[in-house]
Amino acid sequence: MTLSFSEECSRELSLVCDSDGTILQLDKRAERILGVQVGSELRACMVAGSEDKLKTMLSEARNTPLRNWELALLAFGKPATLSFCARAAEPHKLELHALVLPDNYGETVEHLSSTMSQMLGLHREISRQKKELETKTHELLKTNRELDESNRGVLSLHAELADKAESLRHSAEVRGRVVANVSHEFRTPLHTILGLSRLLLDASDGPLTDEQQKQIRFIRSSAEELSALVNDMLDLSKAESGKMLLRVNPFGLHDMISSLRGQLRPLVPLAPNGTDVELVFEEPSTDATLETDQGKVAQVLRNLVSNALKFTERGEVRVSVGVEGDTAHFAVSDTGIGIGAADYAHIFEEFGQVDSPLQAKVKGTGLGLPLSRKLAELLGGTLQVESELGKGSTFRLSIPACHPEAHEIKQLEARPLDPEKAPVLVVEDDRKTIFIYEKYLANAGFQVVPARNIDHARNLLRQLRPAAIVLDIMLDGETSWNFLAEVKRDPRTHEIPVLVVTVTNKEQKARALGADEFWLKPVDQDRLLRKLRALSRPGSSAKVLVIDDDDRARYLMRKYLEKEPYSLLEAATGPEGITCAREQRPDVILLDFLLRDMTAFDVLDDLKGDPRTRGIPVVIITSHMLDATERQRLAAETEVILSKASLSRELAIHRIRDALQKAGVSKWSTPGVEH
Amino acid sequence: MEVHAAPGDELAQLRARYLRAQLAGDLDDALRLLIEDGVHRGMSVPALQRGVLREAQLEIGRLWQENQISVAQEHMATAISNTALSYLYEAASRAPSNGKRVLVSCVEGELHEFPARLVADGLDLAGFEVHYLGANVSQERLLEAVAAEQPDLVALSATMSFNLSALQNAVRTLRESADKQLPIMVGGAACSSSGVELDADASATEVADVIHTAKQLVGISA
Repeated sequence: MTLSFSEECSRELSLVCDSDGTILQLDKRAERILGVQVGSELRACMVAGSEDKLKTMLSEARNTPLRNWELALLAFGKPATLSFCARAAEPHKLELHALVLPDNYGETVEHLSSTMSQMLGLHREISRQKKELETKTHELLKTNRELDESNRGVLSLHAELADKAESLRHSAEVRGRVVANVSHEFRTPLHTILGLSRLLLDASDGPLTDEQQKQIRFIRSSAEELSALVNDMLDLSKAESGKMLLRVNPFGLHDMISSLRGQLRPLVPLAPNGTDVELVFEEPSTDATLETDQGKVAQVLRNLVSNALKFTERGEVRVSVGVEGDTAHFAVSDTGIGIGAADYAHIFEEFGQVDSPLQAKVKGTGLGLPLSRKLAELLGGTLQVESELGKGSTFRLSIPACHPEAHEIKQLEARPLDPEKAPVLVVEDDRKTIFIYEKYLANAGFQVVPARNIDHARNLLRQLRPAAIVLDIMLDGETSWNFLAEVKRDPRTHEIPVLVVTVTNKEQKARALGADEFWLKPVDQDRLLRKLRALSRPGSSAKVLVIDDDDRARYLMRKYLEKEPYSLLEAATGPEGITCAREQRPDVILLDFLLRDMTAFDVLDDLKGDPRTRGIPVVIITSHMLDATERQRLAAETEVILSKASLSRELAIHRIRDALQKAGVSKWSTPGVEH
Repeated sequence: MEVHAAPGDELAQLRARYLRAQLAGDLDDALRLLIEDGVHRGMSVPALQRGVLREAQLEIGRLWQENQISVAQEHMATAISNTALSYLYEAASRAPSNGKRVLVSCVEGELHEFPARLVADGLDLAGFEVHYLGANVSQERLLEAVAAEQPDLVALSATMSFNLSALQNAVRTLRESADKQLPIMVGGAACSSSGVELDADASATEVADVIHTAKQLVGISA
């Protein structure tokens, strides 16, 4: 086949076929492009699936000429799109002209399609990730909701727990109050029994027979036991309510053991044929100095030793001491009946004694160990037991050698004065209170210079001039009042404002009102006599007025003074007492704190308000605790005296600032230092 | 799947409007119709995919067959439908992932990717992790993808009957490859019209059938 150049390049073709698509005539281009000959079926050139469109074209072209009829054929052996024009030429013949649409046109479209497809794939990928994020967000929100719900649950649980804790706290408080009050109520009759049995034993009303003496001794020892129980209960309730005060002082281990040895030796029972139990105090290997509450440590050890002696029939009770690092260890071991491991916890419960034959024989309050453990906790330590039934027990008390509070106060004392801050001398023996002052005053531009006792305060006052003195009226004697007087007398210090702060208890209040002494029942006869001797002029017969509505108390007092050179005046009511004081001018008045008709304060007010009775020393005697209303009344009456219980930050600062302003001291002034 | 089936006439109406937008080359209008008048009116995505897009594509084929549109118009209309599929995918909510991986691909020479795309989207929204290879995938590329993705199932699509031999070849090649247990499913217009013996595990063309069959093949109780 010879082709002209134009035939060779052409993408057009022409052919004639019958109505079935059988080729009747064709040009060279058609031959070349479609690879067909006369007699070939056009149908055979079609791309599979597009035969129908050929059929449609062939049938339609018989009636109407067609233009741009696209068919998919195999051109040059590859599928291609051809655009046909067709018309009927003669009967049963069709004239066809076609154009092969350019390959690259199709390829470009395919290329664009696939590019777009890829981009749409990316779009899907982004959509999918967005969906995942949404799902995750949704899940998070759901989790959040669930957490919210459980949080609400936890919160309501907390509220419930708080309620429970509050009601527990409340019932513990009620219980504590009941215990404290009942104990006090027990005390009054106990004191009468103890006092009267003492009088009987002293044969002050004539000698007793041996049998009577024995009976009275039994009465007395029973009353003493009951008294010990009541005291333990009071201590325990104080410790539990957090009202127990710590008196932290430095002391030598050696001295403490020596004094304990002396105190405890009498507890060793004397068997008829010599004692089978030996009480051994091991010498401390080193004489360390402890700084904690010596009295409380001794109280615990006394409890432990007396317990050990009770439950040991033969062998020894051994007390050993050691200091290891910052911890002091005390151990009390015995060779007694021992305690089963199952009872370890039980013995620290109140009245939780273990049943045993020996147990039944010995006496105890049942409160010794619980109280001891409470005291150990108060000292910042622990009380543990190791024991084996039948072999003995060892109780171990471990406490910080330096009480945490003492440690902190040492740091406070050791710090240098800050010239920017006005120093305030705080005379206060309670460390906690010092820290409260420090906290409140430091923020107000002051610095606390703590003095733990009056001597310390005197020393400090020689070294520096404070902007003010906060003086706690301490329980130990007259020194606080004397110190106040001293400060006010001394021309170098009399301008320093002194703020008197104290616990609002009856003793402090009574003292502030002018009471000279404050005694807790039972009144000790010796003490009473010593006091009277000191108060009265020697040689003269002093008049003593007892104001008490309890007949038994007045009777006891009468008996005490019977043989002494004092004349006793008695009054059963407050007004009666005041009248008697005005008329008789006694040398000393013994005043019961709680009279039925009026309080001791009212009596005191009247006595101190009258020039005739103002000078008479008054000793208040009580066995009663102050209740809330009394406390409120006292607080309302008080002006110079602040109650620690109500010592809020604002109040403290306010009062102290007032005092400083009155004295013309501002907190910015630089303190002068005097020597 | 079809929870919110639109009433037939409403769907047909939407399809007619879509087809007009498609042939006019108005992508924006086509998308607006599907999303605002479809999805936002509560029509389900599968219903729109099948009832509007796929039907419109079949209509486009008929129109070319009747020579009412040119190849160029056909390409443009298909491009719009492909884009629309992508937007419908975005609007659909996806079932929780089932952890199964499916490879979806057109066989070598097959340029009609719309049906494969439709199936791929259906599987994806049903919770499968889908890897879509697109149109005209050579046997080499298919094997590479299978080796790289380690799918749990391969779905092959062929639309034109002249691609049936390519489909046969692809199935055979996969069967001869490393993982002889790999389930293979085939689908597309070419499969339904022929009596050609294929060594595939299943054959399905309707999207719902494909999803159902795919779940059975990977061992998920539907």
